[in-house]
Amino acid sequence: MLALAPDAPSRKAAQGVSSPGKWSGAGVTADALWGECAGSGATPYRACVDLSGPAYRCGCPSRKFPCKHVLGLLLLWSADGVPAVAEPAAWVTEWLDRRRARGAAPVPGPAPAHAATPVHGPASARAAVPVPGAAQAAEPGTGPDPRRAAQRERRVAAGLAELESRLADQVRQGLAGARHDHWDDLAKRLIDAQAPAVAGAVSRLGAVLAADDWPGRLLGEYALLYLLAVAYRRLPGAERSGADPEAGLLHTVRERAGFPVAREEVLAAPAVRDVWDVLGGRDEEHDRLTARRVWLLGRTTGRVALLLSYAHAGQALDAPPVTGTALDADLAFYPGSAPLRALVAVQHGAAPAAPPSGVTPERALAEVAAALAKDPWLDSWPVVLDPVTPMPPATSAGTPARNGRWLLAGPSGGLPLHPSAGTPWRLVATSGGHPLTVAAEWTPRGLRPLTTWDAEGRVIVL
Amino acid sequence: MNAPSEWDDLVSAALVGTGRRPLPGAAASEVELLERAAVRTVRARAGQTLRRGGPLAVAPAETQPVVSRAAGDRLARILGGERPRLLTEWLETAAARGRRVPPHLLPELLGQGAADRSIRPHLGVLAGDRGRWLAGLNPAWGFLLQEITAPRAAGPDAVREISRETWELGTPGDRRAHLGALRAVDPAAARLLLETTWGTETPDDRAAFLGVLADRLSPADEPFLETALDDRRREVRHQAADLLTRLPGSRLGRRMAERATRYLAVEDGRIQVTPPTACDAAMERDGIRARPPRGTGERGWWLQQAVARIPLEVWTRLLGRPPGELVRLRAADWGREVTAGWVRAAVLQGDPEWARELFAWDPLADLLAVLPRAEREGVTVDFVRGRGLDGQLIMVLGGASAPWGPDLAQAVLEKILEVAGTQPWNLGELTRLAGERIDPTLYGLAEDLSPEPPIQEVAALLRFRDDMVKELQ
Repeated sequence: MLALAPDAPSRKAAQGVSSPGKWSGAGVTADALWGECAGSGATPYRACVDLSGPAYRCGCPSRKFPCKHVLGLLLLWSADGVPAVAEPAAWVTEWLDRRRARGAAPVPGPAPAHAATPVHGPASARAAVPVPGAAQAAEPGTGPDPRRAAQRERRVAAGLAELESRLADQVRQGLAGARHDHWDDLAKRLIDAQAPAVAGAVSRLGAVLAADDWPGRLLGEYALLYLLAVAYRRLPGAERSGADPEAGLLHTVRERAGFPVAREEVLAAPAVRDVWDVLGGRDEEHDRLTARRVWLLGRTTGRVALLLSYAHAGQALDAPPVTGTALDADLAFYPGSAPLRALVAVQHGAAPAAPPSGVTPERALAEVAAALAKDPWLDSWPVVLDPVTPMPPATSAGTPARNGRWLLAGPSGGLPLHPSAGTPWRLVATSGGHPLTVAAEWTPRGLRPLTTWDAEGRVIVL
Repeated sequence: MNAPSEWDDLVSAALVGTGRRPLPGAAASEVELLERAAVRTVRARAGQTLRRGGPLAVAPAETQPVVSRAAGDRLARILGGERPRLLTEWLETAAARGRRVPPHLLPELLGQGAADRSIRPHLGVLAGDRGRWLAGLNPAWGFLLQEITAPRAAGPDAVREISRETWELGTPGDRRAHLGALRAVDPAAARLLLETTWGTETPDDRAAFLGVLADRLSPADEPFLETALDDRRREVRHQAADLLTRLPGSRLGRRMAERATRYLAVEDGRIQVTPPTACDAAMERDGIRARPPRGTGERGWWLQQAVARIPLEVWTRLLGRPPGELVRLRAADWGREVTAGWVRAAVLQGDPEWARELFAWDPLADLLAVLPRAEREGVTVDFVRGRGLDGQLIMVLGGASAPWGPDLAQAVLEKILEVAGTQPWNLGELTRLAGERIDPTLYGLAEDLSPEPPIQEVAALLRFRDDMVKELQ
């Protein structure tokens, strides 16, 4: 329950309001949980949870989301402290009806027009940040003004042309002279050129230098950036020739350059309805901006999806769907050659949770290869492996290899874990040497384990 | 990765620069290099092949029942930082019931055990077979293999039966547990078992095993303990001396009683003290440390230790007054050392009469522990009622054994309420102690007492513990 808390102080505060004495008029039905909590004001705060979401609402002025009252109420409920009732209180029904009428998805932050809704979407945080697609909500340049759009096209083209020639220059002069300030300068120029996604990729190159095998990795990154710049240069030609099968690739190249895709445009495309298992998530901070990734797998379609949200440091992110649960929802995918990122267009409700169905490591590699064939810049793809066992690094000459990487292996072999995973002790402990279902994020450097399900079906976040 | 040699060529060419080392047969070397590198990179990512791992032995099947789902989830919350001070109570309760923890929590728990010795005995039981399997994979968790592996055997017959095998092959923790169980049903057999292997035990084990003999100590143990006074390890010698101090009529007690006549006398209604002027080999053998801690005078140090080991009944006989009077008399010189020695003696020798009198002078939690259970709580209640909130109150309550019954709970809660009105900023430790030590089933008492936040805080903590204990049943 407390996994929903935005931070540790909220968890602590929630325990303070989780005793029955704090609540009056509390009740629970199949879909909703509510109660009134006496706060510092004259009127009690009305807190309410839509259990099919989860989505929350509370009358308190807290900017934490969910607030301590909602968390406290959930805790009380989990301790069987809330009586079951046939009908919700009137104010609860009203809220639920309003919510459902809107078809509001609790997952992505709603557009600013919905500012009165309980979800504190960090929409204002999305402008001009060097992350792919982060800028769609408040980006003026993509609107109906054709003059500004054309100006942006020119700037991006110029910026990427400069990138192309700079990369070539460096390879001619030798990577041995690579220094951080090369990229800082280049990244700034790319931001000025309104290509924030490429700028972000360039600014992260410095991290590669710390690795032992940095020359190879740096060359790999250079080569892919170069490939992107060349692809962008050749786009107009491809567009003129009307190469239809490449349409997705055009979107992919533009998105990776940093052109935002408007939310309305995404939602306008046909949505995919399925029961989506929530495989797991990860928060990552870059330049005071936190990116929250949550990966989904459709039970019927077998499609994978990524829900991505952003917040500036200190801001609360959207409440993510809880790992291990399932949503019955229509997902709208961002256009691209290997579509992964999606928005929840319509949420129909919760679905009974169950471990997702997985594939063998061979099959997972084939899925990744197919996605890479469509989008060579792909550096993250969710996979569910089953059955796999965590295995220590192969032994060389009879002694265990030191500093080797653990694998997730099936009967015919396995995939190495990402170096940051170290020894995946929680996974090893859960497995005890027995095969498991494991959800993981594939990356070029290895798998990052996300979630597993133990013998009793318990969801274990890794 | 396919054709590593070509990739390596590309990397080394890029490293020195195509300006210095052009790619053979290419007009614009750097463009050709970047294009080929892009193809290689994507091909390597898409064409990854499966690897072989080292073997991982399968963990043995578990024999103990796992804790309930709710209990496991609560443990995860505690480990995650919610009310971390309750970890020990959770572990203790679950271990007493012979349960094991869900496997996925083992790494965090063993990590805590690596840093905190005090929880290790519980982990021995709770880790189950999976935990020991895991400890075999990570040297940092090797301590687990030294701990008790199973909850105590049930009946006396079972204890006698498993004796030989466990004693010879068990982990040190198991052996200690077995010795303790045997001591409880057959004290002499336990001592005899220990004597059979005494010469071959490690010094650490000798000290630990000797501690087990504290239970059901009897004059029959005296000859064995007397020989242990000559052990090579100091901890063992001290442990033996402590036990002999508790044995009425031991040879050590008689030797100490004889020394008493040299140190203390009553003259003109006052206690006259003559501390020892040297610490000879015989005194050292009886457990008196020659070297004082930094900042303590030698003679006072020797005196204090000697008084602690002198049988307390000697004083009434020697000085002709009951303990109450002696405590009030106070010595003119060396009074502090004598009182400190008496406190230590009352605790070591478990003498409730002395403890009662000394507590009135020097309220120490250790002295409370010597009192009979029924009396202990009453004395603590009076102490709480008669004292303001200060360090001493916290110390005494901190040492008062849990769970606190209704009377002490009431007294402490009223103290909290009283202080909440005057100096609420000082309440932190007192409310935490109350929440952690009061019998958790009394949460209603706190909930109904007052809506003041500190009281409700205690109530919430008690309810948390009450739920926790119920989940573990």
